[in-house]
Formats: sequence, C-alpha cells, structure tokens
Amino acid sequence: MIEAQSLTKRYGQRTAVDAASFTVRPGKVTGLLGPNGAGKSTTMRMIVGLDRPTSGSVRVNGHFYAEHSAPLHEVGALLDAKAIHSGRSAYNHLLALGATRGIGAARVREVIDLTGLQAVAGKRVGGFSLGMGQRLGIAAALLGDPQTLILDEPINGLDPEGVLWVRGLLKHLAAEGRTILLSSHLMSEMAMTADHIIVFGRGRVIADAPVADIVGQGAVTSVRVSSPQAAELARLLAAPDVQVTSASGSTLDVAGVSAATIGGVAASNGLVLHELTTVTGSLEEAYLRLTADEVEYHTQSVTPEVVR
Amino acid sequence: MSTLAQPSLARSSHIDASNRGLSATGILRSEWIKLRSLRSTWWSFGIIFAIQIGMAVLFSLTATDRFAQISGAEATNAAVSVTTVGLLFGQLVIAVLGVLVISGEYATGQIRSSFMAVPSRLPVLAAKAIVFSIATFVVTLVSIVVAYLVTMPILAGVGVQANPFDGALWLHFLGAAAYLVFIGLVSLGIGAALRSTPGGIAASLGLMLVVPTVFQLIPAAWSTTLAEWLPSSAGRNLYYWGGTFEPWQALLVMLGWVAVFITTAAVLMKRRDA
Repeated sequence: MIEAQSLTKRYGQRTAVDAASFTVRPGKVTGLLGPNGAGKSTTMRMIVGLDRPTSGSVRVNGHFYAEHSAPLHEVGALLDAKAIHSGRSAYNHLLALGATRGIGAARVREVIDLTGLQAVAGKRVGGFSLGMGQRLGIAAALLGDPQTLILDEPINGLDPEGVLWVRGLLKHLAAEGRTILLSSHLMSEMAMTADHIIVFGRGRVIADAPVADIVGQGAVTSVRVSSPQAAELARLLAAPDVQVTSASGSTLDVAGVSAATIGGVAASNGLVLHELTTVTGSLEEAYLRLTADEVEYHTQSVTPEVVR
Repeated sequence: MSTLAQPSLARSSHIDASNRGLSATGILRSEWIKLRSLRSTWWSFGIIFAIQIGMAVLFSLTATDRFAQISGAEATNAAVSVTTVGLLFGQLVIAVLGVLVISGEYATGQIRSSFMAVPSRLPVLAAKAIVFSIATFVVTLVSIVVAYLVTMPILAGVGVQANPFDGALWLHFLGAAAYLVFIGLVSLGIGAALRSTPGGIAASLGLMLVVPTVFQLIPAAWSTTLAEWLPSSAGRNLYYWGGTFEPWQALLVMLGWVAVFITTAAVLMKRRDA
C-alpha cells in the first residue's frame, strides 16, 4: 500500500509534482500514466526517499521509506536502468546490494536465473544493452522479495519476449497480494498490464480509476457506416442526441445510436450498406483526451492537419 | 524456448526471515564487495605497491653514498626516507582513488541503488570510509614493509644497518600508512561533496599540489605558517619526524582535516536529493 497526500515537489520555479494525492492498493497492478515531464519519475523517487517532497508526504505500508528497517524487503524499485556502477559485474552489483541486509549469493543467483541474466552475470554492466540493463534493474528490485514493487518504465528497451515476461511477472506478483506500481507513457502497454490507472498531467493527478472506467469515460463509442446512399442515411438517422459526421462522401461516423439500429433503419428504407462497424474508444484516445491540455512538451505535427 | 524462468519466485527460501534488518556488518560487507569489485581499486593499489617498492630500490641504489657507515637512529631515519619516498607519488594515487570511490557512484547513478538499500544514507558514507581506510592502510603498510625488506640488503651493502627491531622504525611505517589513509579520507570527503569525478580529482589534487605552492609564493610569514598546516605538509610529519609538528600533533591536525571534509560531505549527503 502506497499512500500519497498532497505530495508536492518544486525545483526552483518549476513544479514537478503538484499536490498529488493517491493510494496504490495491494493485489493489483497500478499504472502511473502520463506524458514526458508529467511528474511520474519524480513521484517514484519521492516514494523511495531519494527526493525530499517540498510539501506533503508519501508512505509505504504506513511508514516513510526511510523508517523501514529492511527497505529492500519492503520495497523493490527499478527507477532507471542506469542506477548501477558501469564498472562492476551484474553479479557483484546484486551481491553488494543484498549484503546490506544479509542476502547472500544463493538469492543473487536465484534472481539472475529469474531474469535470464546467467550468460552475462559476470560481465561488467557498462557493456550491457538497454534491455539487459532493465533486466538487471528488475533483478535488483526483486532481490529482497519485496511486498511493494515500483518500476519506472520497466519494459523500456526490452525485446518482445521480455515484455511478455514482465507483464506475466507483474500480474503474478499482484495475484500474490503484493503492491505493484509501474509507470509508462505507452498507453497500449498500460491497457495490457494494469488493472488500475493513475493519470498524471503536469504534476497533477487528472484521473484515478480502473482501466475500464478510464476507457469508458474518456472515449466515445461510435459507428462507422459506409453506404452509396450515405447522404440519405444521414438524413434518416438525424435526431437530437445523434451526431453524424461525414468522413468522406460515402462514409459516416455516427455517435449516439447503435449499429443494430442503423442496420434496421437502412434495411427498412432499402439502403445498401458496405460497412457497419462499432468503433470503441481505445485507452490511447482516452489518454490523449485527458492529457490534451496537460502535455508539457507539445510537438508540431508533420502534416498540416492537427492531430486529434 | 524461453530463456526466462517462469515468474514463480514465491517466497524465496534463500532469504533468512530472522535477519531482515539492516546491520552495520551488512553495510560494511556491502562496501567491501563494492570496493573489491572495481578495477580502479586494483589498479590504484597495484600502482601504489609498485611505485613504493620501485622508488625505494631506485633511491637506495643511487643515494647510497650519502648514507655511508651509519647506525642507530641515523640508520633508521635513512631506511625510513628510502622506503617512504614513493609516498610522494602514492599520495596522488590515493587522492584520486578517494574521490573515485564515491564520485563513481554519483556519475553512474549507483548512488541511488545504494541509498534505496540504506535510506538513512550516512551509514553508506561511514562504511565506505572505514572499508577504504582499512584497505589503504593495509596496502600501504605492506608496500612499505616489502620496500624495507627489499632495500635492506642494498643499504646494508654500504653499511646502513637499520635495526628491524627498532620500535621507532615501525612507528614511522605506521605513520606513513596513516598519512595515505588521511589523504584518502580528505579526498573521499571532497568527492562526496562535489559529486563529480573530474571536479573532485581537480579539487583534491589542487589541495595537494597547487595550494601549497600558492601559499609559498605569497611572501608573508602567515602564509608560510599556514602552508605548514595543509594536509600534505602537516601529514608528512607523521612519517618524517623533526618537522614543524610532533607526530602526535600531526595526527591531530590530520584528524581535524578529515573531520572538516567528511562532516561537510555528510551534511550535504543527508540534505540533497540523490
């Protein structure tokens, strides 16, 4: 259980995290989602006591991180893959980390096996690829068999097999009743892995809900209809709560009415349909809608048209 | 075929549930693993060993005319000056290593892993200082003793008979090893405060090489006096007796320097975001 109350971090004039309050509960995977610079990493660093909050507080299992007598057992964290001395071997890195609380070589070999690092465990970390660095970071996070796991962009740089493995691992650990918090700016990944999502935008919590709710509230379900008699169909469907937009001459996007109703209307009026598809809003659309005003680093579209 | 184990880590049988807390011995062991698992440590200590012996041999072979037929305290002093001449170089190596042991953690991000494992932070600095001090002391002392044994027959050949059972001889050797420990700790404090390898090395070597020269260039009595108090000058009295300070005074001056630098580093380490 991670509880943040009015957590705030300012760097000079810039506010990285702005009065964020949220609770991460055990037994499920909670995703911290937000654009670059939204305050996800800063929040995680405050959870594990690396950064001191300007105001507010964050506790893990009821205590400040620094108060835990065995922090590695309470919380395992992968903050970024570069939190490892590049001149040391993976094995020695884990051994030194574990030694602080009496974790020996047997457990070190166990997490090395678990993360598939056997072949490179004796090599210096400086030569590791991004993916191997991530695996070592995950191995370090798992070393103390922690109740709470915090992972900042864990799938960054992993190969598809590694991505699947992390996804399975996190679900498995959550099912054991552990608290799992991971961050990502990849909404599709969140949709696959997380049960609950906290959306950050410019340091503020702008949504905190189960994945299904975020998708449901943020995105509109519409029906795509293609017909040679599109104009006539649009006229027949017209109603106060129905929105019809024309994508092209023969294609309509209809919101506020089901595909079955549209099919019925077309059939009873003898209109030909070439396509009738229900379009469900994706988490990605919901996310972009939520964060549209909160993106810190706007990009210019390469085409003149404005990206939704 | 998957190279990854299934995520069935459950409760690990390899973690002793009764020994969950942080302990001083655990943190010391961690820092010892860190120190011994880096190449820079072995290179630095290797260079100190080689230089210490190499320069002692060179010095004894070329300067023997100066020490013709002496014995007693005079012979002891001659043996000490021959075996410790390599410290002039060794102090620079240890100053660099002292900075590296901590700045390397900041440069690579390792410090975040270290502080997550030990959130109160200061035990990390303390354990690092202790482990580094012991290693430096042992390596320096062994280097000097080996240098003494190697040069003994050469010196004996020109009639310098330093009595190996002379307590003063060994006090000199202990002082020399302590000198490098103090220089290393001052550099460790500098590295921890500056958190940068290039900056730390520049500041540390600057304190050893440039600052004394600057003080000597200022034509004033106070400047000359102050120069005597600098770590590189005062510390030399630990193994080169008969200077400005008695050995015990030099010990206090060096402890003072270490206290100033390590305390500054500790305060900053505790207060700053990692």
